[in-house]
Amino acid sequence: MSWQGPAAVLGFLVLTWWAWVGIELSIGEIVQNISNAGRIIEELLDPAWGALNNTYGPFLETIRMAVIASVIGCSVALVVGFLASRVSAPDVVTFGVSKSVMSVIRSIPDVLYALVFVTVFSIGPMAGILALILFNIGVVAKLLSETVDGVDPGPIEAADAAGATLMQRVRTAVFPQVLPNYLAYSLYVFELNIRASAVIGLVGAGGIGQFLNVARNAFRYDVISVIVIEIFVFVFVIETISIAIRRRLV
Amino acid sequence: MIRFENASVTYPGGVEALKNVSLEIPDGQMVVIVGLSGAGKSTLIRAINGLVPLSGGRVVVGERDVTSADKAELRALRSEIGMIFQGFNLVKRTSVLNNVLMGRMYQTSTWRTLLGLYPAADREIAMQALERVEIVEKAYVRASNLSGGQQQRVGIARALAQQPNVLLADEPVASLDPPTSHVVMRDLQRIKRELGITVVTNLHFLDLAREYGERIIGLRAGEVVFDGTGDQADEHVFRDIYGRSLTADDVMEARAEL
Repeated sequence: MSWQGPAAVLGFLVLTWWAWVGIELSIGEIVQNISNAGRIIEELLDPAWGALNNTYGPFLETIRMAVIASVIGCSVALVVGFLASRVSAPDVVTFGVSKSVMSVIRSIPDVLYALVFVTVFSIGPMAGILALILFNIGVVAKLLSETVDGVDPGPIEAADAAGATLMQRVRTAVFPQVLPNYLAYSLYVFELNIRASAVIGLVGAGGIGQFLNVARNAFRYDVISVIVIEIFVFVFVIETISIAIRRRLV
Repeated sequence: MIRFENASVTYPGGVEALKNVSLEIPDGQMVVIVGLSGAGKSTLIRAINGLVPLSGGRVVVGERDVTSADKAELRALRSEIGMIFQGFNLVKRTSVLNNVLMGRMYQTSTWRTLLGLYPAADREIAMQALERVEIVEKAYVRASNLSGGQQQRVGIARALAQQPNVLLADEPVASLDPPTSHVVMRDLQRIKRELGITVVTNLHFLDLAREYGERIIGLRAGEVVFDGTGDQADEHVFRDIYGRSLTADDVMEARAEL
């Protein structure tokens, strides 16, 4: 029997104790407060269907935000994605810079972008759209560049042998190979945008999330319930359609 | 005329693929390069259009020096040299016609290529190239839906669409069955005869090499060890080139009977 196993267990115990004490977690408090949940759960189980009419506008705004953010974000990602692959980058400097820009964009969570843009452009869908655009660039450019890395090199050699420029080579030998994947990634982030707008709206970036926040501040859990159900149904429908399309693409 | 002057290629890692090769290939000749795998056949072919850069010596095609060409000159040179490949190298997801139009890229502006708007004259050239290899009825079919032999003919059409002076073929029939191999080799022979194009091709099988090569060049470990006509290249010569006795694997017909 080696000593590493017991040492690791002891280490985790100490770490947990350190974290626990630090935030003064107390089981008693959890038990005490769980009774408060009763009223909330009761209201959640009794959705105020009358609020459905009021959610129509914010929902439409969410969809519009997702459409704009997907179109712009994915278009930019198409360029960045090609620049961030050795297969299609014009030189190593462009490749390196694009790759770093991509990881910086991805390392910042979308809510943080939303917070910054709400501060700069004030509350509303504008801030949300900008946050979603950055999010989409991060995701699609990354996935696209990895797909480009894996294309069949044969057609690229054929394009070079025919005297193609770099742009011509990328357009004719690489782009057709990655197009179905690119469209699939774009549909995927559109889906993610609908979901994300519930969260970024909480910090004031427009859409259904902002309406959710209003209901939350008014302690209207019956209205929140309606919104959550709506988001669930809508995301489910979008996902089903998008999966069906994606399956036909790839 | 293609001229090699003491051409050498050393790959990163130290492998000497070509050693001091000197050759002259006159216009309109059909040359077959033979040798074991690793003998430098592919390197020799790719040195002609600059896909593999030389580490010493010179290669001249027509009036153009491949060795000293800059990027733009290299593209100009490559536009006059068609190339076909062992694995066909087609874009499988797109139509046959789009693949053949890749042969017109050098003459097409970048923005037209980006939008896929090839001029009508170029589309006509592409269709004629498909006609020449008798596969024009497949122009709007996806390349992935064709058989191996058909795909290689599309590869030939793409090279012909460049309206080249030279056609390079790197193991053009290695992925094909014997009857299809003969069809493709006869296509190359006919193209050479009808258009007066110089054809330089690598072949693995000595019976194919003897049947289709006006001239056979034998490579062994990066050096030219034989240069003569198909009639001169008897089994002794091939044993010499391969550095071992011949087996059924070296002859396509024998292998097909197995």
